[in-house]
Amino acid sequence: MIGRLTRRQLLALTAAGTTAMTFGSRLAFAQTGKTLRTRAYSDIQILDPAYRLAQPEGDVMEAIYTRLISFKPGDSWGWELDGAEKIEQTSPTTVDFTLKPGIMFTNGFGEMTAEDVKFSYERIADPKTESPYKDDWANLDHVEVKDKYSGTIVLKKPFAPLWSSTLPSGSGAIMSKAAVTKAGGRFEASPPATSGPYTIKEWQPKQRLVLVPSPDWKGEKPAFDEIVIMPIDDEKAAELGFQAGEIDFTSTSVSAIPNYLKSPPANAKFVRKPSLAYVWMGMNQDNPALSDQKVRRAIQHAIDVPAVLEAAYFGAAEPSTGIVAPGLIGHREKNLYSYDPEKAKELLKEAGKEGGMELTLSVLNKQEFVNAAQAVQAQLPEVGITVTIQQYDSGTFWVLGDEKTGTTWKDIQLIIGRFSMQPDPSFATAWFTPEQIGVWNWERFNSPEFGELHVAALSETDDAKRDVMYKKMQDLMEESGDYVFLTHEAVGTLASDKINAAIRPDGIALLSKFTAN
Amino acid sequence: MLVYGIKRLGVALAIVVAAMIVLFIMIYVIPGDPVTVALGPRATPQMIESFRARMGLDQPLVVQLYNFFANVLQGDLGRDVLSNRSVSLVIMEQLPFTLALIAGAMTWSILIGIPLGCYAAIRQGTWIDHLMGVLSVSTIAIPSFVVAIYSMLAFSVKLGWFPAIGAGDRGDILDQLHHLVLPSLAAGLGWVGYIARMVRASMLEVMGENHIKMARAFGLPERMITFRYALKLAILPTLTLLGIGIGSMLSSAVFAEIVFSRPGIGKLVYDSVIVRNFPIVTGTVLVTTVFYVLATLFTDLLVATLDPRVRQSLR
Repeated sequence: MIGRLTRRQLLALTAAGTTAMTFGSRLAFAQTGKTLRTRAYSDIQILDPAYRLAQPEGDVMEAIYTRLISFKPGDSWGWELDGAEKIEQTSPTTVDFTLKPGIMFTNGFGEMTAEDVKFSYERIADPKTESPYKDDWANLDHVEVKDKYSGTIVLKKPFAPLWSSTLPSGSGAIMSKAAVTKAGGRFEASPPATSGPYTIKEWQPKQRLVLVPSPDWKGEKPAFDEIVIMPIDDEKAAELGFQAGEIDFTSTSVSAIPNYLKSPPANAKFVRKPSLAYVWMGMNQDNPALSDQKVRRAIQHAIDVPAVLEAAYFGAAEPSTGIVAPGLIGHREKNLYSYDPEKAKELLKEAGKEGGMELTLSVLNKQEFVNAAQAVQAQLPEVGITVTIQQYDSGTFWVLGDEKTGTTWKDIQLIIGRFSMQPDPSFATAWFTPEQIGVWNWERFNSPEFGELHVAALSETDDAKRDVMYKKMQDLMEESGDYVFLTHEAVGTLASDKINAAIRPDGIALLSKFTAN
Repeated sequence: MLVYGIKRLGVALAIVVAAMIVLFIMIYVIPGDPVTVALGPRATPQMIESFRARMGLDQPLVVQLYNFFANVLQGDLGRDVLSNRSVSLVIMEQLPFTLALIAGAMTWSILIGIPLGCYAAIRQGTWIDHLMGVLSVSTIAIPSFVVAIYSMLAFSVKLGWFPAIGAGDRGDILDQLHHLVLPSLAAGLGWVGYIARMVRASMLEVMGENHIKMARAFGLPERMITFRYALKLAILPTLTLLGIGIGSMLSSAVFAEIVFSRPGIGKLVYDSVIVRNFPIVTGTVLVTTVFYVLATLFTDLLVATLDPRVRQSLR
């Protein structure tokens, strides 16, 4: 009965197939139930807390591991109990903790104990581990195990960032001693055991990571049957994916924030949060053209920061007063020097540069930085400075000031930099100490007082005193003439109205705390 | 024929070796440090040195090159700087997505390009022929990333017919095909024009040959003459073009993979160059060069097998 396929039949079959593919897939989207589809800006590489590389790994770790305390979602920084039933700072150098009973590791590695806490924290602190995060536990002496569930974190000296960044972050994740030891002491993308509300179902590299509720989780039932995390590095592509209904949650590009504030997509919630990141224009004080402090100070006065930000972020980002973001200890209310082109001309004249000068401005080839550079390039001729912009890809840009990888550190003059950070001011100041000259301190800002203050502030547990210290450190930076503070940027997030997104004050997602509407 | 095949194989091998040497020199010359990226800003100098030694990055260029080829001969492409996973494994995970994309792109270009070329040849000099010419040049001129973005905006965001991101659920062929439609169109549309123009030119040449004139003289139907006799010969130069096109489609695949956030070799190598993940870059370039060289070799041999004139010239 099977005859030859006629052309008409072939066309009909093709049309039917296309229809089935189109609408069949739509049906599949509708049937996903309580699935949260979210975007990460890169794929995961390493889920070992001691060697994690970037925030997307931190997002996953937040959902699959337990810490003593975790970040609270909301608009102000704070923490709440996670794996700890109770935790208390009993002296400037001791923290007592008691674990909740019944926190289970997957893959048959049993219940979480104080011994696992000791193993996890001492492992990162141990120089033999070669963890890039060992500074998070730099002042850890040891963890004393009292009984199965309780113990004491003993510090060599007070360590202020312990509560704000170490304990609630990846460095505070508690790993199974037995599982990590069995895995050979370290692992990459396949954790030998997890302990959070979710666990990994599958990882398709560069495509998706699927989390499902952990069968060993005894706490409150996780809100979603699946969390699908898709690595989409381009923010615009992610925004289109959101508009096409394929993603429930994503961060947005900074430049898109004004538009989304005016008209968010249908059935979506748009939230703008201040970022912790800081962007600045630096001046290499060891470069002959900028060695005179008067020249650097003139440039500080010659930059109209709001105009630069308008060009770079289209009104989405506010000017910053330093490197410590609003809401954190040490945030300054205002700058020392303001936009004053006449003052700039005066200073240049005093420096013998009234005839003008030429400088280069090195930037990463991201649109907002290039736009900012072009604004600076447009402003500085008013005081007689001609600027040539040099754009670099990230691989080249991030070693420009590194003494060990070449000699470009001598040639860089003006640079626009951006660093991200954890919610403690020490994460911002760490890169500008004298020890960091030629590493990450590319301006070669050399202030022993700054270095001493950084070390002292790490051990200062009085918040009021820390606040004064960090403000002073930023004053020193600005007084040196090496910095024009630009912005902390902003983070935009789009969330489907089918979900309640749990977001940190800096816009970072806390996936385990997302709920469905 | 055998001698021809061996000669072509030798040339192919030389191309692969030359490509890898050039790549190694480029990697060595460009600024940027994979270790800084891999270990992050908090790494101590000791950690950096130890990592560099472990990855063999502290060795001179010649030693690194020698080690690379020695390892390749043993089937070892090295380890990913960031994840420490086997480079072969990382590539094999991504390769099927790119092969599917190229196959899809080829399908689009063949399905649209060959009929367009044939029709233009049959209607030579008419307004249809001119229109086909404009369409062909237009598809060649529009960059694939523009096609990718606009097709996504139209068919995914506006109409919702096709997915905007990803490659579909593993094990669900229909879903994967559904995800393949727009990226493959973006990667293949440019080749529609090339193929249409090549087929048109070849068809016009073949249609003027004696055996076609004789077929017409015998009164055979025009459709039979076109498709059974003329197209059979006219398609041969197109085969060579398709072989070359695979290399070009690998480039288009990069854009399609980035815009549609698809996994694949193009995106893998792009990401790896950005972060200076050199083992992945060298492994991927080796695999794609071998793939490209084999594709052109295969099409050359196919043409030599199918075309009696080429076979004759090789004797």
